[in-house]
Amino acid sequence: MVKRKLGALEKVEADLPNLQHKIRRDPKSYIEDFRAQHYQYESHREIFMAAPSSATDTGIISLRELIDFIAHVADCYPEITKDFPQQLMDILSQHHLILQAELREKIVGSLVLLRKKELLDSATLLQTLFPILISTPSKTLRALLFQKILMDLRSSNAKSTNHKLNRTMQTVLYNLVTSDRTSSKGLWAIKLTRELWKRQIWTDAKAVEVMKEASLATNEKVIVGGIRFFLGGDKEREEMEDESSDEEAIDMGRVKHIIGINKKTKKKARAVEKARATVKRRERKKNQPHPLNFSALHLLHDPQGYAESLFSKHLQSTKSKLNLDQKLLVLQLVTRLVGLHKLHIMHLYSYFQKYLTPRQPSVTSFLASLAQASHDLVPPDDLEPLVQKIANEFVSEASAAEVASAGLNAIREICARQPLAMNETLLQDLVMYRKSKDKGVVMAARGLLSLFRELNPEWLKRRDRGKEASMGLRSGEKKEKRFAEQAAGGIEGIELLEQWKEEERRKKRAEKGLPSDAEDDEEEEEEDNWDAWNVEEDEDSDDSDGWIQVQSDAEIELSDSDDDDEDSKRPKKKAKSDEETAAESAAEATTEESQAQKELDQKLSLAATRILTPADLAKLQELRTEAAVNALAGVKGRQSASNRHHDDPLTAEEIEGLAALSAGKATREERIAHAKEGKTDRAEHKSVTAKRKEKKDAQGKSTTNKEKARKKNFLMTLGKAKSKNKRSLVQTRAVLKAHQERAKRGGRRGNTGN
Amino acid sequence: MGSSSKKKKEKQKDFQKAKLKVGKTKAKPDNFTDTSFKAKSITLTQQSLTLTAPTTTTQFTHHVSLLGSKSDAQRRDSLAHLTTHLTNSRPTAGGSLPQPVSTLLPTLSPLILDGNTGVRTQLLKLLRALPPRDVEDHVAQLLPFIRAGMTHLAAEIRVTAVEVLAWLVEIAGREVVGCAGGWIKTLNCFLSVLGWHTEESSKWSASRAAFGKSGSAGRPMVKVLGVLAEFLEAGIGAGEEGEGEDVVMEEGVGAAGAAVGNWEFPLAQVEAHMLPETAQPYVYLNLFGQPRDEEGEMYETREDRFRVFAARFLKAVERGVESARQDGGEVGRASSAVSKVLKEALGYARGAGLEV
Repeated sequence: MVKRKLGALEKVEADLPNLQHKIRRDPKSYIEDFRAQHYQYESHREIFMAAPSSATDTGIISLRELIDFIAHVADCYPEITKDFPQQLMDILSQHHLILQAELREKIVGSLVLLRKKELLDSATLLQTLFPILISTPSKTLRALLFQKILMDLRSSNAKSTNHKLNRTMQTVLYNLVTSDRTSSKGLWAIKLTRELWKRQIWTDAKAVEVMKEASLATNEKVIVGGIRFFLGGDKEREEMEDESSDEEAIDMGRVKHIIGINKKTKKKARAVEKARATVKRRERKKNQPHPLNFSALHLLHDPQGYAESLFSKHLQSTKSKLNLDQKLLVLQLVTRLVGLHKLHIMHLYSYFQKYLTPRQPSVTSFLASLAQASHDLVPPDDLEPLVQKIANEFVSEASAAEVASAGLNAIREICARQPLAMNETLLQDLVMYRKSKDKGVVMAARGLLSLFRELNPEWLKRRDRGKEASMGLRSGEKKEKRFAEQAAGGIEGIELLEQWKEEERRKKRAEKGLPSDAEDDEEEEEEDNWDAWNVEEDEDSDDSDGWIQVQSDAEIELSDSDDDDEDSKRPKKKAKSDEETAAESAAEATTEESQAQKELDQKLSLAATRILTPADLAKLQELRTEAAVNALAGVKGRQSASNRHHDDPLTAEEIEGLAALSAGKATREERIAHAKEGKTDRAEHKSVTAKRKEKKDAQGKSTTNKEKARKKNFLMTLGKAKSKNKRSLVQTRAVLKAHQERAKRGGRRGNTGN
Repeated sequence: MGSSSKKKKEKQKDFQKAKLKVGKTKAKPDNFTDTSFKAKSITLTQQSLTLTAPTTTTQFTHHVSLLGSKSDAQRRDSLAHLTTHLTNSRPTAGGSLPQPVSTLLPTLSPLILDGNTGVRTQLLKLLRALPPRDVEDHVAQLLPFIRAGMTHLAAEIRVTAVEVLAWLVEIAGREVVGCAGGWIKTLNCFLSVLGWHTEESSKWSASRAAFGKSGSAGRPMVKVLGVLAEFLEAGIGAGEEGEGEDVVMEEGVGAAGAAVGNWEFPLAQVEAHMLPETAQPYVYLNLFGQPRDEEGEMYETREDRFRVFAARFLKAVERGVESARQDGGEVGRASSAVSKVLKEALGYARGAGLEV
């Protein structure tokens, strides 16, 4: 719409923003004016409703402006405007196809505004906007609506989870997906759910159910959307969380410093206030317990049924219209479900038979999927022919090096999950490939070898077993695992803790000047442990709930004290709680026993002999993360099979493995790129001064006097230099004296006094 | 010093003659200003090349299309042209309209809200030139624009809208008060223009027409009061008694008597069975429109209208009239017309046994 040029007078008269401003300040006095404008709006609406398609330009005020105006001040006159939201919703839902784009956007915006002012509830708003989202042909409107719907859901879940709204919305989405499985409208459900999942607003089984139904649809786009969610949704969520957690840190000190120097305005004061609030919020967030976030794959009801229906509907059925890439995605999901939940699908392994040839496009993905699908409850009879086939088809001297190494890697991955799929002769045959000329094949064969040194060295030839495995065999420690045998569980990383304790004890004894490996006083150590318990408690009380802070002075003293007054501490603590003393005595008893047994059984683990204090647990957690970081740093870039979490997917890249090594000599550029891969970015080389200068520029500081002097134009310094030559001795003395004085004082302004 | 010799050279340079070279264009002087320009459009002084003048009908259509023009002067001039054309070709003068009123009105009615005063005055003249009988059927389309004008932020537009309403009441009073939304909504607008809605706002101390410029202070008020009187007269006044004001079923005692008198004995209430006189006789059924609420309903009989008026507006109007009377002067005199209509209406109501 082209605006008419307005005369100066008109501008003053028809100034809705001005009126809006005045109403905001004093709603009561301007009620008549508002009423007039409301009638005006009613008349314009009537005109519009009479002919919605031919929206004429009605003078200097349009319906759009009126709607905007009324939406902004609606909260001041709830009585007069009680029908307003409904009217807007009617206009939008009845005429959204023919409305002018600007008016349409204004109506959507006004509805959201009314929602913010609480004149409209979220459920109604979403029920209006969502049907339009899935039916409108306009792309811009769809984008707008999607954004608004998302925003509304986020804001209504901001303070606390709005279960009721979430449930209704999820039901709407579920119905959308299930009602018409052939239509592509389900994509909106997927988009919305995925976005909310990413932001951890929806983390429940119902959202997963929506995606599950989507992946069982018949429309390809919808299927792929659903599948991709299961394959990548959780990773996306983690990344999002990482991103949000390391937002740029606010340096409070710097902010305060700036406000101290610059001109003080209200705006700047507000900025400081905001920064302070942000810092506070982050602090609070840091202290909050981590929310439970199960991955989507874990939240599925009936994974067996789901995997089976996915497999039969999209992979086995001849009617499925998916192309190879899409089928691979489905296969990845199915096999991941199988591996994760240890499912069994009858025809899955025979399905693979057909695809396990080197000529098959993207065969490495198939190999990865197969490896993913194998777990220790799969009957070896199912897997053995597949392993045999891989060995026959891929691994031979005649086949290309990449093919052979991919085959070997795949076999290794399968056997890592189900060792019984292998037999002795085949293994010995495959291990021989470590004498191959190609490096990739050598590495793959070695990988297989080291895997079986761990799992079942008996199958290897004697000379291939290696020292450790042979010793293990002799001591009877390394035995073949039977089918479906389960290892006893333990505490993850407990051996790290044990090691650490041992070291600590040594250090302490060394400090005291005793021989480091002599028997120590168990009693004393025990004492230290309980101290640690107390210390932990005390730390807690500093920053959490109030009730711990109401401790008596004696107890606080007790918990703060270290080793000096152990005797006084002991009885008090016993009086504190009966349970603790009981536990303690039990622990003592067990430790005495263990002392006796120590020579007999060195391996008796810490967990069996001791009650882990909170301090111990914290240390354990610390050690675990440390170990994980160390492991990551040790293995450059690539994850080794041992430290991969069993939830993580297996990818085609891992199957390809070091095939890149066998692909012939890399060019220089490739080698450089490869070398640079692991290294972090670093800035270009620069002098220290240049770096400092850059830093100063970035902080917005000005130049120093020294720099100014250095940069000064030569001609400007000439005059002074000349006059310096002509100075008399007295003058020179005076100047030097003054300089000395100044230096003492610390510059012209001096640094004392203020 | 090096710099001074350099300066000397530079100074000399100014006075050296530039050498001309064969085959090269002459160098531009230092103070040369580029005066070439590009134009996006070309204006022709003589645009029309046809020798024969366009017919009056084409001219008429052309000017109708020009009513949506951006320039104020253009709109005003087109309106003036249309006005002269209409006055010349009145059916009474023997001519007929080049375009029917039904196609003219949709382009004319938005101009009620036009920002330019000249356009609005000219529009009023044009409307007065339209044949009244044709306008009657389109009252319902015109009224929303008038109401929008009456509540407009700009005071001058409010005055124009009231004037347009005065014209409309004059030529088609019955339709104005009887059409859908014509009674309650228009009365609401009147109250809002006068600021009579609440007790507080109708006091003399309250700032009347608080927002926007009110123009010359007293005059609009007088005008609005006058039109209100006419409007009430058309709606609940006694003026139309005996004209057979009903469209459908109303039978006043006198009217029934007259009907009997007009027709011979076996024939009774024949009007009800005759062809309807109005263009849209069944509009009250609202077959194709949106469902109406109380405000948008049609109030076709005087009795209905009075009932609604008594329930919703009587108090406010009486209060307003009273305060206007107390203001005295021109406003007070204008208010007397309204109070006269009110008195008549109340008398009628008592006679008909309606509750007040």
